[in-house]
Amino acid sequence: MYQEKKDYQSWICDKCQKELELTKVKVHYLEGEFEVELLNCPTCHQVFINESLALGKMAEVEQGLEDK
Amino acid sequence: MDLDKLLETGDRCIFREPPTCTANCPVHLEIIEFISEIEKGDFQKAYKLMEKKIPFHRIIGQICDHPCESFCVRSAAGGAISISELEKAVLEYGAAKPKKIWPVPKKKGKVAVIGAGLSGLTVAVDLDKKGYEIVLYEKTDRLGGRLWDHIGESLKEENLSEELKLVKDKGISIQFNQELDKNRLMDLLLEYDAVYLGSGGWDEQLEFNPKTFQVDELNLFIGGKIVTRNDSVIFSASSGRRAALSIERYLSKVSLTDSREREGIFETPLKQDVSETEVIIKIEKQSSIYSKEEAIQEAKRCIKCQCRKCMDGCNHLRKFDISPYAYVRQINHNERIILGTHYANKMINSCTECGLCKEECFLDISMKDVIQDTRESMVERNKMPVSAHDFALKDMAFSNSSRFSLVRKQPSKEQSKDLFYYPLISFSDYVKGLYHGTGKTEYLFYPGCQLPASYPDDVKSIYEYLVGHVKGDVGIYLGCCGAPADWAGRQDLMGENIEAIKKVWEEMERPTFILACSSCIRVFEKYLPEIKVQSLWDIYAEKGLPNKDQIKIPQTLSIHDACGTRENSDLHESVRKIASKLGYNIEELKYSRERTKCCGYGGLVYYANREQSDGFVAERIQESPHDILVYCTMCKDLFVSGGKRTFHLIDLIYPKDNEDGAVKKMPTLSERHQNRSRVKRSLLKEVWNEEVDEPAQDDYQLVIPESVRQNMEDRYILMEDIQAVVKNAQESRKRFFNPESGDYLASLKREHVTFWVQYAQEDDKVLIRNVYSHRMEIVEE
Ligand code: SF4
Ligand code: SF4
Ligand code: SF4
Ligand SMILES: [Zn+2]
Repeated sequence: MYQEKKDYQSWICDKCQKELELTKVKVHYLEGEFEVELLNCPTCHQVFINESLALGKMAEVEQGLEDK
Repeated sequence: MDLDKLLETGDRCIFREPPTCTANCPVHLEIIEFISEIEKGDFQKAYKLMEKKIPFHRIIGQICDHPCESFCVRSAAGGAISISELEKAVLEYGAAKPKKIWPVPKKKGKVAVIGAGLSGLTVAVDLDKKGYEIVLYEKTDRLGGRLWDHIGESLKEENLSEELKLVKDKGISIQFNQELDKNRLMDLLLEYDAVYLGSGGWDEQLEFNPKTFQVDELNLFIGGKIVTRNDSVIFSASSGRRAALSIERYLSKVSLTDSREREGIFETPLKQDVSETEVIIKIEKQSSIYSKEEAIQEAKRCIKCQCRKCMDGCNHLRKFDISPYAYVRQINHNERIILGTHYANKMINSCTECGLCKEECFLDISMKDVIQDTRESMVERNKMPVSAHDFALKDMAFSNSSRFSLVRKQPSKEQSKDLFYYPLISFSDYVKGLYHGTGKTEYLFYPGCQLPASYPDDVKSIYEYLVGHVKGDVGIYLGCCGAPADWAGRQDLMGENIEAIKKVWEEMERPTFILACSSCIRVFEKYLPEIKVQSLWDIYAEKGLPNKDQIKIPQTLSIHDACGTRENSDLHESVRKIASKLGYNIEELKYSRERTKCCGYGGLVYYANREQSDGFVAERIQESPHDILVYCTMCKDLFVSGGKRTFHLIDLIYPKDNEDGAVKKMPTLSERHQNRSRVKRSLLKEVWNEEVDEPAQDDYQLVIPESVRQNMEDRYILMEDIQAVVKNAQESRKRFFNPESGDYLASLKREHVTFWVQYAQEDDKVLIRNVYSHRMEIVEE
């Protein structure tokens, strides 16, 4: 799972009005827990997930964990 | 789950059983593979298959008396396949130089072979290859015995000599001009570890084991004509091969009899049905041997016999290209692995549990039952992928919540005047009904959850009809029977649901349930046998239709029976009766009534594997050139969305002015919810005169373009999910902003799913640009 900043750099955090940064974020599903680099707000840390990530890599990992 | 029982079920499947031709070939040439190679034009590969199974294939291939052919099932459809002619063609076009075999050191034991005819030579060569020291005793001065009688059109003298020379070249020692008698045989038995007697001229009667060809308990084995008692070369060669195997086992001191049931010829359980096979006449050769092209054409006539009855009917088995035999093995594996990926999950959740496989299988193998057990086991072991059935189970919870669920007795005669009509003119056709009430709830109308979702405006009409036509009071009960829980393997939820239904039944003093949905009928039969049920369609068929003047222009329809009603032949009759009463002509589909197919919704496949569901839909709708008539809402909705003109019985019984019922589109997932709630509210208001709370106003006015609507359907996202995300984002400002486009992007986790909505604000409207979701959670630090 990865994101490229240049594709989404036009998005900012609306609340904090900050540009998003790529940092390590913890995600988990069922028995699986990973650290991945995702775009998020440097102040409030809300994480940005776009459509292709949600329906692509993320869905694939979810499926993999469900079949474990 | 009982895995031994499971495997037993799979092993009963005869998918892998050999065809009758191979079973009647004494050396079991793999005839289907052999013929398939010829069909592809690969004579070399076909040759290899002959080499593998037929002793002295270059000789036997020319002179075999082919007992296989008389058992070929093609004989009833244009003539048996000319297997022996094909073998000759393969020798001609595919022969390869014999492989150079390095001699094995001969230290396993010494075997005497008496008689250098076909069977003796087979024993000698087979055992020589395995490392036994062989001495051949022949009474004449040449090898081959009766093989020389076959010199003629196909077997050339020089070819036979050449083959026999190869035996000599192996270094097998040969003693010619040895006339042996009983005494000499006794000596050999002492001198050698084992003796094979294959001399056709032996007069002595010998007692032998018909399976192993061992004489008494001696180190003597026999074969050839003494055993076969006929002139068949292939039986002779086969007996030699089998005796050689016995000798090998005897000398290695292992069981002579273990797993040898299918040696020689045997009866295969495969019964190929050729009643529908197109007749194709045998290809005659134009010269002494088939040309390549003729051989290929003849090979094409072969049916490649195999039991595929269930697969022929089932889109699922064909999509995964799997027979029940192999399916069961994969399930077994899936059930046993502890660490690692359960690769079969997706497949297991792609079976519609329609039951056609069992209907088609003459051994009654039911994948439906296997899959149901498997899903229950997966749930128990916590191995069922949550996402597969999550949405359907939420939908079921919705239907059993106060937003839809409802139980009411029939209102009193005074209060329910509108539900029936007093006859103005007796015996008039236009009488809608009479008051048949008794104060006791004899019937409870249970329309299920899908009919109200798809036909919200007709539920009241149906109820009115029932009140006016059946004897006794008719109550109403709205809810979901639990079919989704059953299909999802959720016995826990199923149990609760059944208890709830039973409770209502008891409280209402055990009325007969009137069911409109085929899934409900199936669930009631399976889980609530104590409750008497009647199908709504049976009642229409018996009591007459409500709108006799509404008959449409005559038209031919094909009926698609709902798979849940497979065993309910009365219901099938009723449906046909209704259609013909309405003036429709019926053309039956090949797969109908007890052999009907699933529309693609069953087993929750629609949710677990949309592609598989689409496969069922696409296959079914092209089976009829006519419009289709169904009586299950999901069948209707799926067929219409697949592009097929499809009527539901409701469309015919309650036709709408200026609406073509056959193209009426499936309501969206959100609309299905709204429709159910609307049915409840309108019944309460209009029939029971109760005050009802109007649904809460939406917080935001959403504008949703068609493409996003489609995404909502494909991604199982409801209007209320979007409302919740937008509301949360607007109130908390926790959202992302794109200064270039002015769009917002916000998310909200609801139960196990995080929903994302990209939107723009325009005055008091919210324009929805995109929606998606995921289940993985972000761990907030
Ligand atoms: S119909 Fe299907 S399950 Fe039955 S024996 Fe044939 S291949 Fe096996
Ligand atoms: S049709 Fe083909 S597979 Fe079937 S019995 Fe004949 S040769 Fe064998
Ligand atoms: S139950 Fe229906 S879908 Fe499942 S394997 Fe049998 S025929 Fe195919
Ligand atoms: Zn922020």
